[in-house]
Amino acid sequence: MPAISVGSELALAGLGLFAGWLGAVIGIGGGVVIVPVLVLAFGYDIRVAVAASLVSVVATSTAAGSAYVGEGLANMRLGMSLEIATTIGGLTGGLISLLVSPSIISGVFAVVMLVTAVLVFRQKTEHHADAPTDGQRGLHLESGFETPGRLAGAYVDARTGTLIHYQAERLPVGAVVSFFAGALSGLLGVGGGFLKVPAMTLGMGIPVRVAAATSNFMIGVTAISSLFVYFAQGYVHPLIAVPLVLGVVVGATVGARTSGLVPARALSRILGVVLIVVAVQMGLRAAGLSIG
Amino acid sequence: MASDQTRPAVPEAEVEEPVRRFVQLVLRGGLWVSFALMAVGLVLALVREGLGDAPAVKLLAMRGAPSAGERVMAAGILVLALTPALRVVSLLVLWARERDWRFVGVAAVVVVVLAIAAALGR
Repeated sequence: MPAISVGSELALAGLGLFAGWLGAVIGIGGGVVIVPVLVLAFGYDIRVAVAASLVSVVATSTAAGSAYVGEGLANMRLGMSLEIATTIGGLTGGLISLLVSPSIISGVFAVVMLVTAVLVFRQKTEHHADAPTDGQRGLHLESGFETPGRLAGAYVDARTGTLIHYQAERLPVGAVVSFFAGALSGLLGVGGGFLKVPAMTLGMGIPVRVAAATSNFMIGVTAISSLFVYFAQGYVHPLIAVPLVLGVVVGATVGARTSGLVPARALSRILGVVLIVVAVQMGLRAAGLSIG
Repeated sequence: MASDQTRPAVPEAEVEEPVRRFVQLVLRGGLWVSFALMAVGLVLALVREGLGDAPAVKLLAMRGAPSAGERVMAAGILVLALTPALRVVSLLVLWARERDWRFVGVAAVVVVVLAIAAALGR
Protein backbone atom coordinates (compact mmCIF):
# COMPACT_ATOMS: atom_id res chain seq x y z
CA MET A 1 0.00 0.00 0.00
CA PRO A 2 1.49 3.37 -1.01
CA ALA A 3 2.32 5.70 1.88
CA ILE A 4 -0.24 8.40 2.68
CA SER A 5 0.78 12.05 2.92
CA VAL A 6 -1.06 15.33 3.38
CA GLY A 7 -0.68 15.82 -0.37
CA SER A 8 -2.27 12.48 -1.21
CA GLU A 9 -5.13 13.16 1.22
CA LEU A 10 -5.79 16.48 -0.53
CA ALA A 11 -5.58 14.77 -3.92
CA LEU A 12 -8.11 12.15 -2.79
CA ALA A 13 -10.46 14.85 -1.51
CA GLY A 14 -10.02 16.68 -4.84
CA LEU A 15 -10.85 13.51 -6.77
CA GLY A 16 -13.98 13.04 -4.66
CA LEU A 17 -14.95 16.67 -5.14
CA PHE A 18 -14.63 16.37 -8.92
CA ALA A 19 -16.41 13.00 -9.13
CA GLY A 20 -19.27 14.22 -6.92
CA TRP A 21 -19.66 17.42 -8.90
CA LEU A 22 -19.53 15.61 -12.24
CA GLY A 23 -22.03 13.02 -11.08
CA ALA A 24 -24.48 15.70 -10.01
CA VAL A 25 -24.07 17.75 -13.19
CA ILE A 26 -24.10 14.94 -15.75
CA GLY A 27 -26.06 12.32 -13.87
CA ILE A 28 -23.58 9.44 -13.76
CA GLY A 29 -22.48 7.60 -10.65
CA GLY A 30 -19.11 8.63 -9.24
CA GLY A 31 -17.67 5.11 -9.16
CA VAL A 32 -16.97 5.01 -12.88
CA VAL A 33 -14.63 8.00 -12.38
CA ILE A 34 -13.23 7.18 -8.94
CA VAL A 35 -12.12 3.57 -9.41
CA PRO A 36 -9.98 4.00 -12.56
CA VAL A 37 -8.29 7.14 -11.17
CA LEU A 38 -7.47 5.36 -7.90
CA VAL A 39 -6.03 2.43 -9.86
CA LEU A 40 -4.25 4.20 -12.72
CA ALA A 41 -3.16 7.47 -11.08
CA PHE A 42 -2.82 6.55 -7.39
CA GLY A 43 -1.60 3.00 -7.98
CA TYR A 44 -3.98 1.33 -5.52
CA ASP A 45 -5.10 -2.29 -5.80
CA ILE A 46 -8.42 -2.34 -7.66
CA ARG A 47 -10.16 -3.97 -4.68
CA VAL A 48 -9.03 -1.12 -2.41
CA ALA A 49 -10.33 1.31 -5.04
CA VAL A 50 -13.65 -0.53 -5.30
CA ALA A 51 -14.07 -0.55 -1.51
CA ALA A 52 -13.38 3.20 -1.29
CA SER A 53 -15.79 3.83 -4.15
CA LEU A 54 -18.48 1.75 -2.42
CA VAL A 55 -18.18 3.93 0.70
CA SER A 56 -18.74 7.05 -1.42
CA VAL A 57 -21.61 5.31 -3.26
CA VAL A 58 -23.33 4.63 0.08
CA ALA A 59 -22.90 8.29 1.07
CA THR A 60 -24.27 9.79 -2.15
CA SER A 61 -27.12 7.28 -2.33
CA THR A 62 -28.10 7.99 1.27
CA ALA A 63 -28.07 11.75 0.66
CA ALA A 64 -29.99 11.59 -2.62
CA GLY A 65 -32.27 8.79 -1.38
CA SER A 66 -33.36 10.78 1.68
CA ALA A 67 -34.37 13.70 -0.55
CA TYR A 68 -36.31 11.44 -2.93
CA VAL A 69 -38.05 9.70 -0.01
CA GLY A 70 -39.06 13.06 1.44
CA GLU A 71 -40.63 14.04 -1.86
CA GLY A 72 -42.34 10.68 -2.28
CA LEU A 73 -40.68 10.09 -5.64
CA ALA A 74 -38.81 6.97 -4.51
CA ASN A 75 -41.19 4.03 -4.24
CA MET A 76 -39.91 2.32 -1.08
CA ARG A 77 -41.95 -0.87 -1.54
CA LEU A 78 -40.69 -1.29 -5.10
CA GLY A 79 -37.14 -0.51 -3.97
CA MET A 80 -37.29 -2.98 -1.08
CA SER A 81 -38.69 -5.70 -3.37
CA LEU A 82 -35.83 -5.29 -5.83
CA GLU A 83 -33.30 -5.01 -2.98
CA ILE A 84 -33.75 -8.73 -2.32
CA ALA A 85 -32.12 -9.30 -5.73
CA THR A 86 -29.59 -6.45 -5.54
CA THR A 87 -28.28 -7.42 -2.10
CA ILE A 88 -27.88 -11.07 -3.11
CA GLY A 89 -26.18 -9.81 -6.28
CA GLY A 90 -23.99 -7.39 -4.31
CA LEU A 91 -22.89 -10.12 -1.93
CA THR A 92 -22.18 -12.38 -4.92
CA GLY A 93 -20.17 -9.63 -6.66
CA GLY A 94 -18.14 -9.00 -3.51
CA LEU A 95 -17.35 -12.70 -3.16
CA ILE A 96 -16.48 -13.01 -6.86
CA SER A 97 -13.98 -10.16 -6.45
CA LEU A 98 -12.09 -12.35 -4.00
CA LEU A 99 -11.95 -15.28 -6.40
CA VAL A 100 -10.87 -13.60 -9.65
CA SER A 101 -7.65 -11.78 -10.44
CA PRO A 102 -7.46 -7.96 -10.42
CA SER A 103 -6.86 -8.04 -14.19
CA ILE A 104 -10.25 -9.67 -14.77
CA ILE A 105 -11.94 -7.02 -12.60
CA SER A 106 -10.10 -4.33 -14.60
CA GLY A 107 -11.30 -5.92 -17.84
CA VAL A 108 -14.93 -5.99 -16.73
CA PHE A 109 -14.59 -2.41 -15.51
CA ALA A 110 -13.28 -1.35 -18.92
CA VAL A 111 -16.37 -2.85 -20.57
CA VAL A 112 -18.69 -1.05 -18.13
CA MET A 113 -16.84 2.22 -18.81
CA LEU A 114 -17.40 1.79 -22.55
CA VAL A 115 -21.10 1.13 -21.97
CA THR A 116 -21.27 4.24 -19.75
CA ALA A 117 -19.51 6.27 -22.47
CA VAL A 118 -22.14 5.17 -25.00
CA LEU A 119 -24.96 6.09 -22.60
CA VAL A 120 -23.36 9.47 -21.90
CA PHE A 121 -23.11 10.18 -25.65
CA ARG A 122 -26.72 9.17 -26.19
CA GLN A 123 -28.12 11.39 -23.43
CA LYS A 124 -30.46 14.03 -24.76
CA THR A 125 -30.42 17.68 -23.77
CA GLU A 126 -33.92 17.36 -22.33
CA HIS A 127 -32.70 14.56 -20.11
CA HIS A 128 -30.08 16.85 -18.63
CA ALA A 129 -32.66 19.49 -17.94
CA ASP A 130 -35.24 17.41 -16.16
CA ALA A 131 -34.59 13.81 -15.31
CA PRO A 132 -33.13 12.93 -11.92
CA THR A 133 -30.48 10.21 -12.24
CA ASP A 134 -27.81 8.61 -10.09
CA GLY A 135 -26.52 12.04 -9.19
CA GLN A 136 -28.66 14.51 -7.33
CA ARG A 137 -30.28 16.43 -10.14
CA GLY A 138 -33.87 17.57 -10.14
CA LEU A 139 -34.53 16.69 -6.52
CA HIS A 140 -37.19 19.32 -5.99
CA LEU A 141 -39.14 19.16 -9.22
CA GLU A 142 -41.90 16.73 -8.34
CA SER A 143 -43.53 14.88 -5.52
CA GLY A 144 -45.48 11.66 -5.27
CA PHE A 145 -46.69 8.83 -3.09
CA GLU A 146 -46.90 5.05 -3.08
CA THR A 147 -49.86 2.77 -2.49
CA PRO A 148 -49.68 0.63 0.69
CA GLY A 149 -49.83 -3.10 0.03
CA ARG A 150 -49.05 -2.79 -3.69
CA LEU A 151 -46.19 -2.01 -6.07
CA ALA A 152 -47.95 1.10 -7.28
CA GLY A 153 -48.14 4.83 -6.74
CA ALA A 154 -48.36 8.19 -8.45
CA TYR A 155 -46.38 11.36 -8.89
CA VAL A 156 -47.07 14.92 -9.95
CA ASP A 157 -45.41 15.96 -13.19
CA ALA A 158 -44.08 19.43 -12.42
CA ARG A 159 -44.28 20.58 -16.04
CA THR A 160 -47.91 19.66 -16.61
CA GLY A 161 -49.16 19.58 -13.01
CA THR A 162 -50.92 16.28 -13.69
CA LEU A 163 -51.00 13.31 -11.34
CA ILE A 164 -49.51 10.29 -13.12
CA HIS A 165 -50.41 6.85 -11.72
CA TYR A 166 -48.25 3.78 -12.25
CA GLN A 167 -48.34 0.08 -11.41
CA ALA A 168 -45.26 -2.17 -11.51
CA GLU A 169 -45.44 -5.07 -13.95
CA ARG A 170 -43.19 -8.07 -14.55
CA LEU A 171 -41.38 -8.00 -11.19
CA PRO A 172 -39.25 -11.06 -12.12
CA VAL A 173 -37.72 -9.11 -15.03
CA GLY A 174 -36.74 -6.29 -12.69
CA ALA A 175 -35.43 -8.77 -10.13
CA VAL A 176 -33.17 -10.61 -12.60
CA VAL A 177 -31.66 -7.38 -13.95
CA SER A 178 -31.34 -6.03 -10.40
CA PHE A 179 -29.36 -9.12 -9.41
CA PHE A 180 -26.81 -8.42 -12.15
CA ALA A 181 -26.78 -4.69 -11.27
CA GLY A 182 -26.01 -5.66 -7.68
CA ALA A 183 -23.28 -8.08 -8.76
CA LEU A 184 -21.62 -5.40 -10.90
CA SER A 185 -21.91 -2.95 -8.01
CA GLY A 186 -20.20 -5.39 -5.67
CA LEU A 187 -17.50 -6.31 -8.16
CA LEU A 188 -16.74 -2.83 -9.52
CA GLY A 189 -17.84 -0.31 -6.86
CA VAL A 190 -20.43 1.37 -9.09
CA GLY A 191 -24.06 2.15 -8.31
CA GLY A 192 -25.56 0.08 -11.10
CA GLY A 193 -28.28 2.60 -11.91
CA PHE A 194 -27.51 2.27 -15.62
CA LEU A 195 -29.02 -1.24 -15.45
CA LYS A 196 -31.74 -0.77 -12.83
CA VAL A 197 -33.36 2.33 -14.29
CA PRO A 198 -33.94 0.78 -17.77
CA ALA A 199 -35.11 -2.45 -16.09
CA MET A 200 -37.75 -0.50 -14.18
CA THR A 201 -38.79 1.77 -17.04
CA LEU A 202 -38.67 -0.63 -20.00
CA GLY A 203 -39.19 -3.89 -18.11
CA MET A 204 -41.63 -2.94 -15.37
CA GLY A 205 -43.50 0.08 -16.75
CA ILE A 206 -42.29 2.51 -14.06
CA PRO A 207 -42.01 6.22 -15.03
CA VAL A 208 -38.40 7.29 -15.47
CA ARG A 209 -38.49 9.86 -12.65
CA VAL A 210 -39.78 7.31 -10.15
CA ALA A 211 -37.33 4.68 -11.46
CA ALA A 212 -34.34 7.01 -11.10
CA ALA A 213 -35.40 8.06 -7.60
CA THR A 214 -36.06 4.46 -6.54
CA SER A 215 -32.71 3.36 -7.99
CA ASN A 216 -30.93 5.98 -5.86
CA PHE A 217 -32.90 4.84 -2.84
CA MET A 218 -31.74 1.23 -3.41
CA ILE A 219 -28.06 1.80 -4.13
CA GLY A 220 -26.93 2.29 -0.51
CA VAL A 221 -28.38 -1.03 0.71
CA THR A 222 -26.98 -2.80 -2.36
CA ALA A 223 -23.52 -1.33 -1.79
CA ILE A 224 -23.25 -2.32 1.87
CA SER A 225 -23.98 -5.99 1.07
CA SER A 226 -20.63 -6.13 -0.75
CA LEU A 227 -18.88 -3.51 1.40
CA PHE A 228 -19.13 -5.90 4.36
CA VAL A 229 -17.14 -8.45 2.32
CA TYR A 230 -14.45 -5.87 1.51
CA PHE A 231 -14.30 -4.98 5.20
CA ALA A 232 -13.63 -8.63 6.04
CA GLN A 233 -10.83 -8.93 3.52
CA GLY A 234 -9.03 -5.79 4.69
CA TYR A 235 -9.70 -3.62 1.65
CA VAL A 236 -11.36 -0.72 3.52
CA HIS A 237 -8.71 1.91 4.34
CA PRO A 238 -10.08 4.94 6.24
CA LEU A 239 -7.22 7.20 5.14
CA ILE A 240 -8.20 6.52 1.51
CA ALA A 241 -11.99 6.30 1.77
CA VAL A 242 -12.67 9.21 4.14
CA PRO A 243 -11.14 12.15 2.22
CA LEU A 244 -12.69 10.70 -0.91
CA VAL A 245 -16.21 10.44 0.50
CA LEU A 246 -16.09 13.86 2.15
CA GLY A 247 -15.02 15.33 -1.19
CA VAL A 248 -17.75 13.47 -3.08
CA VAL A 249 -20.52 14.75 -0.84
CA VAL A 250 -19.32 18.37 -1.02
CA GLY A 251 -18.88 18.04 -4.80
CA ALA A 252 -22.36 16.55 -5.26
CA THR A 253 -23.90 19.34 -3.19
CA VAL A 254 -22.11 22.03 -5.20
CA GLY A 255 -22.95 20.22 -8.45
CA ALA A 256 -26.66 20.00 -7.62
CA ARG A 257 -26.75 23.77 -7.02
CA THR A 258 -24.70 24.73 -10.07
CA SER A 259 -25.95 22.21 -12.61
CA GLY A 260 -27.87 24.85 -14.52
CA LEU A 261 -24.77 27.01 -14.89
CA VAL A 262 -22.55 24.57 -16.79
CA PRO A 263 -22.90 23.32 -20.39
CA ALA A 264 -23.90 19.79 -19.44
CA ARG A 265 -24.11 18.51 -23.01
CA ALA A 266 -20.59 19.61 -23.92
CA LEU A 267 -19.34 18.25 -20.62
CA SER A 268 -21.01 14.91 -21.36
CA ARG A 269 -19.22 14.64 -24.68
CA ILE A 270 -15.86 15.42 -23.13
CA LEU A 271 -16.54 12.87 -20.41
CA GLY A 272 -17.55 10.29 -23.01
CA VAL A 273 -14.21 10.67 -24.79
CA VAL A 274 -12.28 10.54 -21.50
CA LEU A 275 -14.17 7.40 -20.45
CA ILE A 276 -13.23 5.67 -23.71
CA VAL A 277 -9.55 6.60 -23.33
CA VAL A 278 -9.45 5.45 -19.70
CA ALA A 279 -11.40 2.29 -20.58
CA VAL A 280 -8.69 1.44 -23.12
CA GLN A 281 -6.05 1.97 -20.43
CA MET A 282 -7.96 -0.26 -18.02
CA GLY A 283 -8.33 -2.84 -20.78
CA LEU A 284 -4.61 -2.75 -21.50
CA ARG A 285 -3.91 -3.10 -17.81
CA ALA A 286 -6.20 -6.11 -17.72
CA ALA A 287 -4.18 -7.59 -20.58
CA GLY A 288 -0.95 -6.97 -18.68
CA LEU A 289 0.10 -3.99 -20.79
CA SER A 290 0.34 -0.32 -19.89
CA ILE A 291 0.78 2.97 -21.68
CA GLY A 292 1.52 6.47 -20.48
CA MET B 1 -38.89 21.66 0.18
CA ALA B 2 -41.07 22.48 -2.79
CA SER B 3 -42.79 19.14 -2.49
CA ASP B 4 -45.09 20.43 0.26
CA GLN B 5 -46.70 22.82 -2.21
CA THR B 6 -47.19 20.26 -4.94
CA ARG B 7 -48.00 17.12 -2.95
CA PRO B 8 -51.41 15.83 -3.95
CA ALA B 9 -54.10 15.74 -1.25
CA VAL B 10 -54.92 12.04 -1.51
CA PRO B 11 -55.40 9.47 1.29
CA GLU B 12 -52.37 7.33 0.35
CA ALA B 13 -50.07 10.35 0.50
CA GLU B 14 -51.37 11.29 3.94
CA VAL B 15 -50.97 7.74 5.29
CA GLU B 16 -47.42 7.44 4.01
CA GLU B 17 -46.24 10.87 5.10
CA PRO B 18 -45.05 9.88 8.63
CA VAL B 19 -43.27 6.82 7.22
CA ARG B 20 -41.42 8.93 4.68
CA ARG B 21 -40.49 11.52 7.28
CA PHE B 22 -39.12 8.88 9.66
CA VAL B 23 -37.07 7.16 6.95
CA GLN B 24 -35.72 10.53 5.85
CA LEU B 25 -34.76 11.28 9.47
CA VAL B 26 -32.92 7.96 9.78
CA LEU B 27 -30.99 8.51 6.55
CA ARG B 28 -30.08 12.13 7.26
CA GLY B 29 -29.21 11.43 10.90
CA GLY B 30 -26.90 8.56 9.97
CA LEU B 31 -25.30 10.64 7.27
CA TRP B 32 -24.55 13.60 9.54
CA VAL B 33 -23.24 11.48 12.40
CA SER B 34 -20.98 9.52 10.05
CA PHE B 35 -19.69 12.68 8.34
CA ALA B 36 -18.94 14.28 11.71
CA LEU B 37 -16.99 11.21 12.85
CA MET B 38 -15.10 10.96 9.54
CA ALA B 39 -14.20 14.67 9.55
CA VAL B 40 -13.06 14.66 13.19
CA GLY B 41 -11.07 11.47 12.63
CA LEU B 42 -9.39 12.87 9.54
CA VAL B 43 -8.42 16.07 11.33
CA LEU B 44 -7.05 14.02 14.24
CA ALA B 45 -5.01 11.89 11.85
CA LEU B 46 -3.70 14.87 9.91
CA VAL B 47 -2.97 17.26 12.77
CA ARG B 48 -2.06 15.13 15.75
CA GLU B 49 -0.86 11.77 14.57
CA GLY B 50 0.87 12.28 11.27
CA LEU B 51 0.53 9.94 8.31
CA GLY B 52 2.33 6.95 6.94
CA ASP B 53 0.79 3.77 5.68
CA ALA B 54 -2.96 3.44 5.24
CA PRO B 55 -3.93 0.38 7.26
CA ALA B 56 -7.19 -1.44 6.60
CA VAL B 57 -9.89 -1.82 9.20
CA LYS B 58 -12.40 -4.57 9.78
CA LEU B 59 -16.06 -4.23 10.57
CA LEU B 60 -16.93 -3.74 14.24
CA ALA B 61 -13.56 -4.79 15.68
CA MET B 62 -11.74 -2.17 13.60
CA ARG B 63 -8.63 -4.27 13.89
CA GLY B 64 -5.61 -2.75 12.29
CA ALA B 65 -6.47 0.87 13.02
CA PRO B 66 -3.50 1.90 15.15
CA SER B 67 -4.38 5.50 15.93
CA ALA B 68 -7.30 7.32 17.50
CA GLY B 69 -7.92 9.30 14.31
CA GLU B 70 -8.21 6.18 12.20
CA ARG B 71 -10.46 4.52 14.74
CA VAL B 72 -12.80 7.53 14.70
CA MET B 73 -12.78 7.53 10.88
CA ALA B 74 -13.50 3.79 10.90
CA ALA B 75 -16.41 4.41 13.27
CA GLY B 76 -17.71 6.99 10.79
CA ILE B 77 -17.54 4.48 7.93
CA LEU B 78 -19.28 1.92 10.14
CA VAL B 79 -22.12 4.34 10.98
CA LEU B 80 -22.44 5.19 7.29
CA ALA B 81 -22.57 1.50 6.33
CA LEU B 82 -25.18 0.72 8.99
CA THR B 83 -27.44 3.64 8.03
CA PRO B 84 -29.06 1.96 4.98
CA ALA B 85 -29.43 -1.23 7.06
CA LEU B 86 -31.19 0.77 9.78
CA ARG B 87 -33.49 2.15 7.07
CA VAL B 88 -34.47 -1.41 6.09
CA VAL B 89 -35.20 -2.35 9.71
CA SER B 90 -37.15 0.89 10.23
CA LEU B 91 -39.37 0.15 7.24
CA LEU B 92 -39.92 -3.40 8.46
CA VAL B 93 -41.23 -2.04 11.78
CA LEU B 94 -43.26 0.79 10.20
CA TRP B 95 -44.92 -1.53 7.67
CA ALA B 96 -45.67 -4.00 10.48
CA ARG B 97 -47.52 -1.19 12.29
CA GLU B 98 -49.49 -0.62 9.07
CA ARG B 99 -50.15 -4.40 8.88
CA ASP B 100 -48.66 -4.41 5.39
CA TRP B 101 -47.49 -7.99 5.90
CA ARG B 102 -46.44 -8.66 2.31
CA PHE B 103 -43.79 -5.97 2.51
CA VAL B 104 -42.85 -6.83 6.09
CA GLY B 105 -41.86 -10.21 4.62
CA VAL B 106 -39.92 -8.55 1.80
CA ALA B 107 -38.01 -6.33 4.27
CA ALA B 108 -37.32 -9.35 6.49
CA VAL B 109 -35.65 -11.17 3.59
CA VAL B 110 -33.43 -8.14 2.92
CA VAL B 111 -32.50 -8.01 6.62
CA VAL B 112 -31.49 -11.68 6.48
CA VAL B 113 -29.31 -11.14 3.39
CA LEU B 114 -27.62 -8.13 5.02
CA ALA B 115 -27.11 -10.12 8.23
CA ILE B 116 -25.36 -12.85 6.23
CA ALA B 117 -23.17 -10.24 4.53
CA ALA B 118 -22.35 -8.60 7.89
CA ALA B 119 -21.51 -12.00 9.40
CA LEU B 120 -19.09 -12.59 6.52
CA GLY B 121 -17.64 -9.13 7.15
CA ARG B 122 -16.69 -9.65 10.79
